[in-house]
Amino acid sequence: MNASPLTLWEHAQSQGVSRRDFIRYCSWLAAAAGIEASSIGRVVKAMENKPRLPVVWMHFQECTCCSESFIRSSHPVVSDIVLDKISLDYTETLMAASGFQAEKQLHDTITKYKGEYILCVEGSIPTGDGGVYCCIGGKSALDIVKEVAADAKAIIAWGNCATHGCVQAAKPNPTSATPVHKIISGKPIINVPGCPPIAEVMAGTIVHLLAFDRIPELDGLGRPKAFYSRRIHDTCYRRPNYDAGLFVESFDDENAKRGYCLYKVGCRGPVTYNACAVTKWNNGVSYPIQSGHGCIGCSEKDFWDNGPFYQHLASFPGFGIETTADDIGLAVGAVTAIGIAAHAVTTNIKKRKFIQSEIADSETADDLDNKGGA
Amino acid sequence: MSTRIVVDPITRIEGHLRIEAEIKDGKIVDAWSAGTMVRGIELILKGRDPRDAWAFTERVCGVCTTVHALASVRTVEDALGIVVPPNAEMVRNLMFATLYMQDHVVHFYHLHALDWVDVVSALKADPKKTSELAQSISNWPKSSPKYFADVQKRLTAFVNSGQLGIFANGYWGHNAYKLPAEANLMGTAHYLEALEWQKEIVKIHTIFGGKNPHPNYLVGGMPCSVNIDEVNALNADRLAYVGTLLEQAYEFIDQVYIPDLLAVASFYKEWGAIGGGVSNYLAYGDLPMNGYADISSFKFPRGVILNRDLSTVHAVDGKNADEVQEFIKHSWYEYAGGDTVGKHPWEGETKLNYTGPKPPYDHLNVDEKYSWLKTPRWKGHAMEVGPLARVLVAYASGKKDVIELVNAVLKTLDVPVGALFSTLGRTAARGIETKLVAEWSKEFYQTLMSNIKNGDTRMFNKDKWEPETWPKEAKGVGLTEAPRGALAHWIVIKDKKIDNYQLVVPTTWNASPRDPDGQRSAYEAALIGTPIHDPEQPLEILRTLHSFDPCLACAVH
Amino acid sequence: MEHVSFGRVYVWQLPVRVYHWVNALCVVALACTGYLIGHPFAIQSGTEAYNNYWFGTVRFIHFLSAFLFFFNFLFRIYWGFAGNMFARWGNFIPHRKEQFTEMAAVLKVDVLLAKIKPLPSIGHNSLAGVTYFISFLAFLFQSITGFGMYAAMSKSALPRLFAWIVPMMGGDFAVRQWHHMMMWFFIIFSIVHVYLVFYHDYVEGRGTISSMAGGWKFIEHEKNK
Ligand code: HEM
Ligand code: HEM
Ligand code: NFV
Ligand code: SF4
Ligand code: SF4
Ligand code: F3S
Ligand SMILES: [Mg+2]
Repeated sequence: MNASPLTLWEHAQSQGVSRRDFIRYCSWLAAAAGIEASSIGRVVKAMENKPRLPVVWMHFQECTCCSESFIRSSHPVVSDIVLDKISLDYTETLMAASGFQAEKQLHDTITKYKGEYILCVEGSIPTGDGGVYCCIGGKSALDIVKEVAADAKAIIAWGNCATHGCVQAAKPNPTSATPVHKIISGKPIINVPGCPPIAEVMAGTIVHLLAFDRIPELDGLGRPKAFYSRRIHDTCYRRPNYDAGLFVESFDDENAKRGYCLYKVGCRGPVTYNACAVTKWNNGVSYPIQSGHGCIGCSEKDFWDNGPFYQHLASFPGFGIETTADDIGLAVGAVTAIGIAAHAVTTNIKKRKFIQSEIADSETADDLDNKGGA
Repeated sequence: MSTRIVVDPITRIEGHLRIEAEIKDGKIVDAWSAGTMVRGIELILKGRDPRDAWAFTERVCGVCTTVHALASVRTVEDALGIVVPPNAEMVRNLMFATLYMQDHVVHFYHLHALDWVDVVSALKADPKKTSELAQSISNWPKSSPKYFADVQKRLTAFVNSGQLGIFANGYWGHNAYKLPAEANLMGTAHYLEALEWQKEIVKIHTIFGGKNPHPNYLVGGMPCSVNIDEVNALNADRLAYVGTLLEQAYEFIDQVYIPDLLAVASFYKEWGAIGGGVSNYLAYGDLPMNGYADISSFKFPRGVILNRDLSTVHAVDGKNADEVQEFIKHSWYEYAGGDTVGKHPWEGETKLNYTGPKPPYDHLNVDEKYSWLKTPRWKGHAMEVGPLARVLVAYASGKKDVIELVNAVLKTLDVPVGALFSTLGRTAARGIETKLVAEWSKEFYQTLMSNIKNGDTRMFNKDKWEPETWPKEAKGVGLTEAPRGALAHWIVIKDKKIDNYQLVVPTTWNASPRDPDGQRSAYEAALIGTPIHDPEQPLEILRTLHSFDPCLACAVH
Repeated sequence: MEHVSFGRVYVWQLPVRVYHWVNALCVVALACTGYLIGHPFAIQSGTEAYNNYWFGTVRFIHFLSAFLFFFNFLFRIYWGFAGNMFARWGNFIPHRKEQFTEMAAVLKVDVLLAKIKPLPSIGHNSLAGVTYFISFLAFLFQSITGFGMYAAMSKSALPRLFAWIVPMMGGDFAVRQWHHMMMWFFIIFSIVHVYLVFYHDYVEGRGTISSMAGGWKFIEHEKNK
C-alpha cells in the first residue's frame, strides 16, 4: 500500500479527469457550499493538494437513519463522496471488516491521522450507570467517544441524537442519553440536527469542510448557518395560506385537499429551523408539509417532549394529554370571575351600612371643595 | 480443545451486535448472541398521546423506517376500532413495498455482498469477459466492456490511493471466497449502481410521507390528501411519478438484483446446508387487498410452521395470552414475577437491570444475563422470522405466485426444497420476495388509481380522532411484516394516554439470548455447525448472521 | 357624625395617565390578537390565499401593539425615576415598614372585607404597588419572549437584542409556550385590577377611577398637608 496518499487532483487525474473538469468540479463544490465565484481559485488550489480526508464515523445510541439519509444524497452522490472525496475509514454500517479487524482499523486511523481526521458521531451517548447502556467491543460508548475525539481535527454531530439526544433522551431519558457537545469540549463541533438531517445538508457540510479545510460558519447552537438559519415557516410554500388565515381544520378535509396551512393540526414549522422547505427531501421531491403532515420539529432540541404533535401547543405537564395552557388559563379566569362576583355581592351586603353612612356624610358635607363620596 | 472467539462489533448490520462463539475442530459448537445497546423507548412512550406513538416508534430504526410507524398506527387503530379507508391501505402497501425493495437491495449489495464478493479480486478481472458474463444473465443495458473497464479503473485508482476506506482490513483473499474475478467485478459495479438506485426508489416514501428516512404516518389513514386537480395535493402528476418509480424499481430488481443473486448463489451451493438453525417459522402476514380485517386477502399469509413441516400451517393470534410471550432469563431486565416467567406483551414490563461486567470487558458471563434483547417465544417455541419464514408460510399456505417463483429458483440453482432451510435459503428467500413485492406493488398502484378514478379520494377516517370519543380503557395489537420478519406492537390505553406499550421485533425473535429452558434463538442455533476456516477471520460467521440482516436497534429499542 | 372634608391632590401626572391608557389599550389588543394567533378561527374556506390576509393582519396588529407597548413601557420605567413622588419606583417595591403594614391592611379590606380605614398612601396603596411591580416584570417577560420570537422574522436591531432568550429557554417552541401562557396572567390581572379599582373607588370614595383620567385624587383633609 502507498505510504503517501494521492492528492485529490492526482486521484482525479488517475481517473482520467481533465483539468477542465476538475476545475468545474471545484466550482461546483464551491457553489454547493455557497462560495462566491471570486474565491473559486482558492478552492481549486485547496482541492489539488489534499489527500482524501480521513473520516471516522461512530455509531452509538441511534437508529442508523442518519447513515441511511446520507446514502440518499444526490449531489454529490454518496459513492463519489466515499470513493473520491473522503476516506471513510471506519463506519460500522458499511465497512468490510468486523470485530478485531474493525477495531484495528479504528485504532490505525486515529493514530496514523492524528489531528487530521474528522470524527462523525451518529447517536447519543448514554452516561447512566457508567455507560453500560451502549458498549462496542466491550468498551462503553462514553470511553470510545472520548478516546476518538481526543485527536480529531473536528467533530460532526449527525442528527438530533448526537446534537440533542433525540428520542432516547425524551422524558424520562432512561439511559441518560447525552449529546456529543455535552461530553466533548475543546474541539470544534458542527451540529447537524434533524431526525434525520436532509441528505444534501449532510453532504453539503462535508463538502464545505473539504473545500475550505475549515468548518462552515455556525450559529449559536453550532449549526451551519447555510442550512439552519431559517424557520420552516419562513420558507414554506403554504405560508400565503397562513397569512390569509386559511387552515386545515382536520386531516383530509376539504381544506387539506386544497393544501391550506397545517398550523391548526399542529405544524411546528413556526418554531423549527431547518432547510426542508428550501432544499426539500430526496433530491427535492417533497417535504413533510408538502405531503400533508405538519412539521414535527425534528431538528429542534427536545422536540419529542413538545407533544402532542397534533395540537398547536404542548400539553401542560402534570395534566391530561389535551390540557393546554389555555384550558388552565380559562379555568383560572373562570374561578377569578366567580370570585369577583362573590366578592362584589358580599361587599355590597357587608358594606351597605357603612356605605350608607358615608353617603349620609357626604350629603351633609359643607366643604365646597368636597366633590368626593361614592 | 475448543477456543472462544468474540466478534464485536459485527459490521454491515444495523446496531450493536456481539457474538461469542465456541469453536472446535474448525466448526462452531456453541454461540451466544448479545445486543449491547438499549434506549428504553417502551419506557419513554408511557403517558404519551397514542396518536404520537408512530413517530416515536418509527425512530426505533432508520433502516426499516416506516414499519414501526405502520405497526404503531395499526395497534392504535385496533385498540380504538378504527377502520382506515381503502386508499390509505393501498398507500401503506406501497410504502411497505417500497421499503422492501430498497432495504433488501441495500442489504444484498451493501451489507451482505462483501461476504461473497472479493472486491480486491475484481482488479484482476477481464472487463470483456465480465461483460459477457453480465449479458449472459440479464438484459440490463449497462453491461458493456467499457462500462466494466471504467469501474475497474476507478477501483484501481481507489486502491492505489492507499486509502482503502470502507474496504480496508477486509477478509480479501480468504479462501472461502469462490467467485471468479469477473463475477467479483460485476458485483462491485452493481454495488455502486445499487447505491445510486436505492435513493430513487425511496422517493415513493417522499411523495406519500414527505421524506425518507422516517416518512409521516397517521392514525386513521395517511396524511397525504388526494386531489388530482390541485398542485398542493397528491395530484395526477405525483401519482404518475409513483408509477414511474415503481417501473424503474421493478426493472432493477428483475434485471440486476435477481440475476446477481442467482449467479452468486450458484457458486456457493454448499451454503444451502449450513446455517439452518431453529426449525420453526413465524409470519404475521401483511399486504391486505381487502381491508386489514380480512386476513385471507393478505399477499403474505399469516401462520406458523413447526419442525419444518410444510404440510401444516398453524394459526396465530396476537391477542392470545398463551401465544406470544417474552422472557428475560438471560436479558438485562427485571420482571415483577421473577426471571423465569413469560409475559404476553399486554402485561409486558420493561425495567432495565444491568448485571453484566463493567466495561471495558473481554467476555460476557453467558451463564447469567448477557443481552439487552428479551427472548420472545410462540407457545414456548423458538421461531425464526424474516423473508424465509414469510416465503415458507406462503409456500405452505398454497399461494400460487409464491410457489411458482420458489420452484423456479430452486430449479435454476438445482437444489432441493430442503436447501431453503439455510444461510443460502434465507438470502434467496429475500430475493424471491423482493421480486414478488415488486410485482404486487403494481397491483397496489392500480387499485389506488382505480379507486381515485371511481371518485373515492378518502385517505383518513376521522371518526375516532378526538380523544373524547375514546373509551376509558382500550387494548390493541398491530401486526405487520417488517423486512426482517414478524413485527408487532401492543398498546394499552388508559385515560387517553399510553399506559403500556411493548414492541416485539423481528430481530428480537432471531437474535435473542436463550430462554429459561435453555433453548437457543435463531442466530445462536444457526451458527452451530458453521465451518470456521480461520478463527482470526470470522467471515463464515458474518455470512450466516448477515443472511438474517440483523437490526439491533430494532431488536432492543 | 363627624364631618370629613376632602382635598384634591394631583397624583397622576399626564405622562402617567397617557402611559396607563396606551398600555391598557395595547394589552387588550395584544391579548386579543395573541389569543387569535394561538387559536385562529375557521372563518374561511374554499377561497384562495391571494384574496385574503386576515391572519396576517391579526399578527400585524399584534406586532404593532407590541412595539407601542414596549416603548410605552420603557417610558414608564424612565418616568419611575423622573416623575412625581407617586410615580416613583419606591411606590412599587415595598421597602419601608409602613408599606408592609399597609399591605396587610389592604389585604384585610380586599379579602376579609374589613372596614376601610384611611390608608397612609395617596398614590397606589402598597399592595396595588406590588401587583403593578409584578405586572411590570410580566411586561418585561412578555417583551423579551415576544421579541425573542420576533427576531426570527426580522433583521432589525431591537428584536435581535432579545434573540438570546430562545436557546436559553430551549428553543422557539418553549418560548412560544411561555409567551402564550403569560397571556393568561394579563387577562386575569386585568379583570382583577379593573374590579379592584372600582371596588376601592366604591369603598374608599376617593375618586380612584377618575384619577386615571384627570389625575386628581381626593383625600381626607387632615392628611392633605
Ligand atoms: C401583554 C402582552 C402580550 C400578550 C398577552 C401576548 C400574547 C401572545 C399570544 C397568546 C401569542 C400566541 C402564541 C401561540 O399560541 O403561538 C403571541 C404570539 C406572539 N407574540 Fe405576543 N403577546 C404580548 C406581547 C408581545 C410583545 C411585546 C411582543 C414583541 C414583539 C410579542 C410578539 C409575539 C410574537 C412574535 C408572536 C408569534 C406570532 C407569530 O409567529 O405568528 N408579543 N403573543
Ligand atoms: C377600565 C379599565 C381600567 C381602569 C378603570 C383602570 C384604572 C386604573 C387606576 C385608577 C389606576 C391607579 C390605581 C391606584 O391608584 O393604585 C391604575 C393603575 C394601573 N393600571 Fe389600570 N385601569 C384599567 C385597565 C388597565 C389594564 C387593562 C391594564 C393592563 C394590564 C392596567 C394596568 C395598570 C397599571 C400597570 C397601573 C399602575 C400605573 C402606574 O403607576 O404606572 N390597567 N389603573
Ligand atoms: N428487526 C427489525 Fe427492523 C426490520 N426489518 C423492524 O421491525 O430493522 Ni431495523
Ligand atoms: S437523529 Fe433521528 S434519524 Fe438520526 S439516528 Fe437519531 S433517531 Fe435516527
Ligand atoms: S404549513 Fe406549517 S410551516 Fe407552512 S405556513 Fe403553515 S404553519 Fe407555517
Ligand atoms: S419534521 Fe423535520 S423533516 Fe423538516 S419539516 Fe419538520 S424539520
Ligand atoms: Mg420490547
